[in-house]
Amino acid sequence: MQRELARERTLLSRKVSVAALLTTLVVLSSLPHMLGGGHHSFLPAWFTSPWTQLLLTTPVLFWCGRDFFSGALSAFRQHSADMNTLVAAGTGIAWLTSLFSTLFPQVLIAEGLPADVYYESAAVILTMVLLGRLLEARARGHTSEAIRRLLQFQPPTARVLREGQPIEIPLPQVVVGDLVQVRPGEKIPTDGVVSEGSSWVEESMLTGEPTPIAKASGDTVIGASMNRSGSFSFRVSRVGSDTVLAQIVALVRQAQSSRTQVQRLADQVVGWFVPVVIALAIAAFVVWFLISGNPVLAMLFLVSVLVIACPCALGLATPTSIMVASGKGAETGLIFRSAEALETAGKLRTIVLDKTGTLTCGQPEVTDFERLPGGVLPADTLLALTVALESRSEHPLAEAITTYARSQLKDRELPMVNGFESVAGRGVQAAIGSQQVRVGTPRWFEELGINTATLTPLVERLELAARSVAVVVVDGRLEACFGVADPLKPTSAAAVAALRRLGLQVVMLSGDARRTAEVVAAQVGIERVIAEVRPADKASVLKQLQEQGVGPVAMVGDGINDAPALAQADVGIAMGTGTDVAIAASDITLISGNLAGVPAAIELSRAAMANIRQNLVFAFAYNVAGIPIAAGLLFPLTGWLLSPMIAGAAMAFSSVSVVSNALRLRRFQPAPLPGAAS
Amino acid sequence: MTDLLATDLISAAPLWRSIEQPLALKALVTTIGVALIAWELWWFLGRHGGGVAARESAAGWQEITITVDGGYAPTRIQMKAGRPLRLSFHRIDPSGCVAQVIFPDFHKTLDLPLHAITSLELPPTEAGVYPFHCGMNMVRGVLEVVD
Repeated sequence: MQRELARERTLLSRKVSVAALLTTLVVLSSLPHMLGGGHHSFLPAWFTSPWTQLLLTTPVLFWCGRDFFSGALSAFRQHSADMNTLVAAGTGIAWLTSLFSTLFPQVLIAEGLPADVYYESAAVILTMVLLGRLLEARARGHTSEAIRRLLQFQPPTARVLREGQPIEIPLPQVVVGDLVQVRPGEKIPTDGVVSEGSSWVEESMLTGEPTPIAKASGDTVIGASMNRSGSFSFRVSRVGSDTVLAQIVALVRQAQSSRTQVQRLADQVVGWFVPVVIALAIAAFVVWFLISGNPVLAMLFLVSVLVIACPCALGLATPTSIMVASGKGAETGLIFRSAEALETAGKLRTIVLDKTGTLTCGQPEVTDFERLPGGVLPADTLLALTVALESRSEHPLAEAITTYARSQLKDRELPMVNGFESVAGRGVQAAIGSQQVRVGTPRWFEELGINTATLTPLVERLELAARSVAVVVVDGRLEACFGVADPLKPTSAAAVAALRRLGLQVVMLSGDARRTAEVVAAQVGIERVIAEVRPADKASVLKQLQEQGVGPVAMVGDGINDAPALAQADVGIAMGTGTDVAIAASDITLISGNLAGVPAAIELSRAAMANIRQNLVFAFAYNVAGIPIAAGLLFPLTGWLLSPMIAGAAMAFSSVSVVSNALRLRRFQPAPLPGAAS
Repeated sequence: MTDLLATDLISAAPLWRSIEQPLALKALVTTIGVALIAWELWWFLGRHGGGVAARESAAGWQEITITVDGGYAPTRIQMKAGRPLRLSFHRIDPSGCVAQVIFPDFHKTLDLPLHAITSLELPPTEAGVYPFHCGMNMVRGVLEVVD
């Protein structure tokens, strides 16, 4: 496909050169006429003859401009009319009229008309449009550059260990499970898990994060990222279309083939556009014929109207901007799933941030372990029960508690667990031996009717220190209490400030106790907190916000637990973890997992939509202003008339301007985070 | 005076010359012009045929081959709701404009190599009108899904 496009561009530029050469000769040839009279011409008579001009112009139209005529003809057979129709009709009519006056000049002279020819108009218009098309093709090549650049990051070969020997094989031959060696300064060929060695790896081409990341045994690496200093080998986990890079490319391409609401409007206009322009051109001919009785003059108005109209600018206005913006997003680690996501993100009024994993690192650690007054079990027995129960849960707090308790227990045998049950948003319970063990929130035990009076001061102290609290209860007896801290991501506060600066209402959503949630919210500068929300209720909270709120609501979450809420939101933004972009349920994916990507995505969206609006306004205004001028509407008032040649040039450059304006988005840079050092 | 630059006309060049035409000719030109406009609008904007229905094939698939030559032939494709569709595009038009076909409602882009048949499978959909177009949005077709 790339090669085909390149070949086409080469052919197109050859046609432009030929057309330019012949057109220059035609213009020279018609110069004596243009300068008035041609009585004392400095050019030989044979050169200024209409027959010479016919000879020079015909190949311009029917070789260089062949595609316009064949395109117009096949479109006509399909009952459709497009750009080709206008160009072919405009230049064709000018050529035919000239041919008539070349063949039968006496007919015109008998009518009192000059037997003039307009070959140079036809040739100039066609050359201009061809040149415009070439420039446009060049510019459009740049719009998909971002994707091409992403794909270039992938090295063509990988050094794979086969039977203990490292051999270099082409990337497509690498299979899952292969052991791949990477040396300093090399690109990592595909996704995998480090099995030996360690290094610093730069993932900026995928995540937009500039700082290299330390990788050691057990860490995941992403294909196409750059190994900096160390050597390591990794076990391949994904190849081909399963890799992170392939998924990013697929998502971006998907976004580029979707369309925005504004574009639907433009599309409808484009469908009507060409037939209406043809009707206006015929009307201009009739009206000028009635006014002046001069068919040649009327014909020139007809040609001007046909060639000035540019449906291309309307058709190109949105897709090119979307193309450039989504490519730009991909470069900075922001993946938009559709044009609509890009469109809506800029209109957001409320943004809901999930606490765990979004504002915080999502890797909670136990900071406090307190025995409670009524507790009777020895510490290690209690910890063993806790591990046995909590290791069955997938909750991040449970993981933190398990890790902590294991480290305290050494290699103690764990008791058998029966009838494990997880109560969403509350905790977990099971029978262990003859005991009934529960680990959960203080609120759960209140609801169960257990006296938690002795617990209250401790819980309050922990919660004010932004700790999440988990209580261990054995046979209805309060035994111990864990305080778990989940540190904030370093950029969270600055990102929240940036969101507020963009005029958004920021809301924090958390399953945590109200006090804990409020303390965390205060640390990052969020005023509105919705706490103690069970995972299943997050979507309904979003719905409420949508109903009461003004404008669209976005939800930012980790994409795994928050999937229903992300789907409910007008824009679901998933925080990737750098390796898992399979979270395609979201509208926007931040590959880096850095919250700073959210304001950046909103800014990019606003920039893209502003760009689209400029393009549409320009394209509409150009056509709305250009067509009446070409039709001679201003002539009675100002004496202004537009040469068909100028009309053709204006048309060619209006679509080039639209594409060039869209390309300005390539220079988009998100505003730096307020107060951020980096 | 072959050119029609603004300056030329202001100076009332010979081209800008009123010629008395007989009334009958004026009437004739007007009639032909109006008729041409009406015919042209009907040809391009009117409905021509109800579209071509996709062929039924094995395992519930509906299939159709679309020739890409200046436009899509057929332009309107009728299919039944709730059944998957396999579209095969046969591109014989060398113009770069039609090298891509985009289905915005399905978020699909398909590259069409020249002189080859490229297929696209679309999932079953609800009744409705789903337009598709070339990469530049100039050549268009439509899928009409009916119950």
